[in-house]
Amino acid sequence: MHRREWLKGTSAAGMALLSSRWTIAAEEAAGISVKFPALADAALGKAKDLGASFADFHVMQTDSESLFVREEMVQGVNAGSSLGCSMRVLVSGAWGFAASEEVSEKSVLRLVESAVAVAKGQSGWRAQPVEIEMLPAFTGKWEADGDTDPFTVSLEEKVDRLLGINRSALGKGASYCHSHVSAVRERKWLANTFGTRIEQSRVRIFPNFSVTVIDPKKGEFASRESDRPPRGAGYEHLRDWDAAADAALAVEQAKEKMAAPSVTPGKMDLVIAPSNLWLTIHETVGHPTELDRALGYEANFAGTSFCTPDKLNSLQYGSELVTIVADRTVGNGLATVKWDDDGVQTVGKEFPIIEKGVFRNFQMALGQAALIGVEGGSNGCAYADSFDAFPIQRMPNISLRPGPDNAVTAESLIADVEDGIYVDGRGSWSIDQQRYNFQFTGQVFHRIRNGKLDGMYRDVAYQGNSVDFWKACDGLGGGTSYELGGAFNCGKGQPQQVAPVSHGAVPARFRQINILNTAEESGKKVAAVTNPNPNTCSCSGGGMKSWA
Amino acid sequence: MGLTREETESLCEKILGLVKADDAEVWVSSSEDLQLRSANNDITSNGLVQRARIGLSVSYGKRSASISLNQTDDATLRDAVEKVQAMAKLAPEDPEQMPPVEPADFAEPLTFSEATASMTPEEALAQVRPVIEQARAAKVESAGYLERSVSGSALANSRGLFVFQRETSVGFSVTARTAEGGGSGWASTQVTDASQLNLEPVGERAIEKALSSRHPEERAPGRTTVVLEPAAVRDLLSLLSWSIDRREFDEGRSFLNGLVEEGEDPIGKALFGEKANLISDPLFKPAPCGTHSHGLPLTKTPWIENGVLRNLYLGRFWAQKLGVPPQPGPGNLIMPGEGKSMEELIGQVEDGVLITRLWYLRMVQPQSLLYTGLTRDGTFAIKDGKISGPVKNFRFNESPVNVLKNLVSSGVPTRVLGSESDMPVHAPPLVVSDFNLSSVSDAS
Repeated sequence: MHRREWLKGTSAAGMALLSSRWTIAAEEAAGISVKFPALADAALGKAKDLGASFADFHVMQTDSESLFVREEMVQGVNAGSSLGCSMRVLVSGAWGFAASEEVSEKSVLRLVESAVAVAKGQSGWRAQPVEIEMLPAFTGKWEADGDTDPFTVSLEEKVDRLLGINRSALGKGASYCHSHVSAVRERKWLANTFGTRIEQSRVRIFPNFSVTVIDPKKGEFASRESDRPPRGAGYEHLRDWDAAADAALAVEQAKEKMAAPSVTPGKMDLVIAPSNLWLTIHETVGHPTELDRALGYEANFAGTSFCTPDKLNSLQYGSELVTIVADRTVGNGLATVKWDDDGVQTVGKEFPIIEKGVFRNFQMALGQAALIGVEGGSNGCAYADSFDAFPIQRMPNISLRPGPDNAVTAESLIADVEDGIYVDGRGSWSIDQQRYNFQFTGQVFHRIRNGKLDGMYRDVAYQGNSVDFWKACDGLGGGTSYELGGAFNCGKGQPQQVAPVSHGAVPARFRQINILNTAEESGKKVAAVTNPNPNTCSCSGGGMKSWA
Repeated sequence: MGLTREETESLCEKILGLVKADDAEVWVSSSEDLQLRSANNDITSNGLVQRARIGLSVSYGKRSASISLNQTDDATLRDAVEKVQAMAKLAPEDPEQMPPVEPADFAEPLTFSEATASMTPEEALAQVRPVIEQARAAKVESAGYLERSVSGSALANSRGLFVFQRETSVGFSVTARTAEGGGSGWASTQVTDASQLNLEPVGERAIEKALSSRHPEERAPGRTTVVLEPAAVRDLLSLLSWSIDRREFDEGRSFLNGLVEEGEDPIGKALFGEKANLISDPLFKPAPCGTHSHGLPLTKTPWIENGVLRNLYLGRFWAQKLGVPPQPGPGNLIMPGEGKSMEELIGQVEDGVLITRLWYLRMVQPQSLLYTGLTRDGTFAIKDGKISGPVKNFRFNESPVNVLKNLVSSGVPTRVLGSESDMPVHAPPLVVSDFNLSSVSDAS
């Protein structure tokens, strides 16, 4: 990202705020860049003196900004910043860790002593020493691609844009609408005893809204959330979005959803839009193939995995159509970095997780590959979410490869479904601690009849088993239907860490998936309702395009 | 150990002294966390983390903005104040903007323990080591997490409010897993005072559950009588407590709208079973919490009394609009029990399932407060009043409203950790009828 280009998006009001060093974190960051080498030398030198076989020193600065608009009221104008450092040491085969918000030589040396002391506390009773591989040393700086720095765009511009969304929704008859945008800038410095000295900076942004319509007489309501995903991008990700048009469509869809017939539970064919499928990929492929889970490191919280090391290169995870790849170099990816938080370079470390349906690779961090006899060491999947977090294995960008025929679209996939549902938008998601049994909902469930969209259903959830689900995939959209979804907030670890991650997907068709009626699940008796608009759909076709 | 009361007050005064806006509110917190994580019967990460956090909100009439930071040097504080004031001046007026709260008297909280504050990493390791050694001896794999937290937080504003409260806690949970047979067991504890900490029985419970849950059989899903252990109960109560909101109801977008007729008020209505009781009380010694919420005093509050809804959370703006006092949300949750032993509870069940804890709870349908989630780490069939053996885990789709409607009986309350929130909760095991076990999960 080029700072000169960022400043193009800066208005007069935005410039007024630049008088504060708060918003020009780059300059403050430059200050840290100046003092970082000496701090790192002092910290790593002391760690070695105290017996560490390996040590790394992290500094992290995070700036954030968020705006929240409820109906036509601007109710949240927030900024935030945090800065701090941590020391991780490996002493006699045991990890020690300490962190503080004070970035000074005095503090850093104290952290080294604390980290070494807690590592030495395990001396004499460990069953297995921690062992790590040698890593190549890297030096350099990296900034993520972006266009307009969201931190330099004026508050008025952002407020006007969010108010425009809400006015559009309210004008279309929404009872309520809230919109929100948050942006985060993450700067990291890392030095380790292998000789690495690196600095990275990236920005991410998440614009979104939710509309609600109510029927006070029936005590009912329905909501529709936006599909615009978070991205590793600048302000252009909000600026270039016709959010007001999407908000108007969302109101129509929420009204239609409230009046739609309740689904009859049973097995049905599904076509799933990328706006929903990215999260299914995340939960049913991303998490099960984390090696630390498979080895029991997350057993007390996130869980373990059905995908155990003995299944490498043998488990038929999905149909032959399914290839899912991990890649931390994806443009605008939320997990995109040049080096992970162990100091492993990500370029050249892209890998397939599932290749033509077969399970091929785990995601790994430092010290894990040797535990399952895999050569080549870590594949660059470490991340720490804050200055005071111990780096753990986290998801890279994990994406479903498009099908071979570029001409295939969601419409083509729908055309081969007699009786089914087209699922659009991320809803509720839940999966067991070994990643077998999942249940997801969505924002909108379009009924498919005889190869065409035909109204909507309400009260829909799809439930299944991860491997059975991917084996039921018999159609994929082509490259032109590919979209990058993602989330700011994937949780894992104790204490819990929150990681941003992207997932690319194409529309995909799955045969005979178990559909639940969520109203019946809640204990309500559901009356058969006749579709009020049996042959029309306000979003037929257009729904897919508008939410792309 | 973080900032003292005097240091915190001085910092608040310094920040408020820099503010030129009409009104300001500042909160300062500092903490020192000791974190000890283990897996495969070894420590995996082990650390000491110090944090400070400052939040500042300023307003010019109805225009406001907020900023947060973690550096306390003068230059950063000055810049933060300038920045947030500039943001507030640019912000459009918010008709719902409320002035800072007026000073009030707050009860002295019961949330601090010197024994916890002075706990060292060595002492924490000494507590965890026997649990790991128990697991090694039993030939099960354990994974656990201990977190000792010491924090002090203050809230001050331009109206003269200053309140400082300290909090300590030690939470510990451990999962034991068998190498064969798919056995898994979990147990936890949470205390304010570390001198009451005794982790060995916690480890024993997890190991016993792991060993007895090997080779589970598949039981058909469906609506079933369940015995929910306290960890499962606390998760469901937490989910309910987040949704009892007066404004959401008044706006027609609450689960409560579906439980009463249009124009009816849910307060005073018997919406739950008559054995359902839920209160919050910051001075409840077994699970205390701070005695204010954003500067409003927290006092003992009944939420559900013998099945009747008694209170809803009510924010300051909405309270003003309605012309009634605000009602802060709960800082802790207390569900009194009937004091029955686990044997008595299980003995009441002819054909049912014992559930140790829940996992990955997510809202499915806000209209009915329907949540989905899974059982894990110890699920057992009950036949003729006795545990008959381990069964495979289930996905459930159920509303905490139904759980309290179908509450049959309850046991002895205790304070344990859950999977959804850190709020102190003191809850008993419950027998609940017609709990919707939706499908079987192969996870073990």
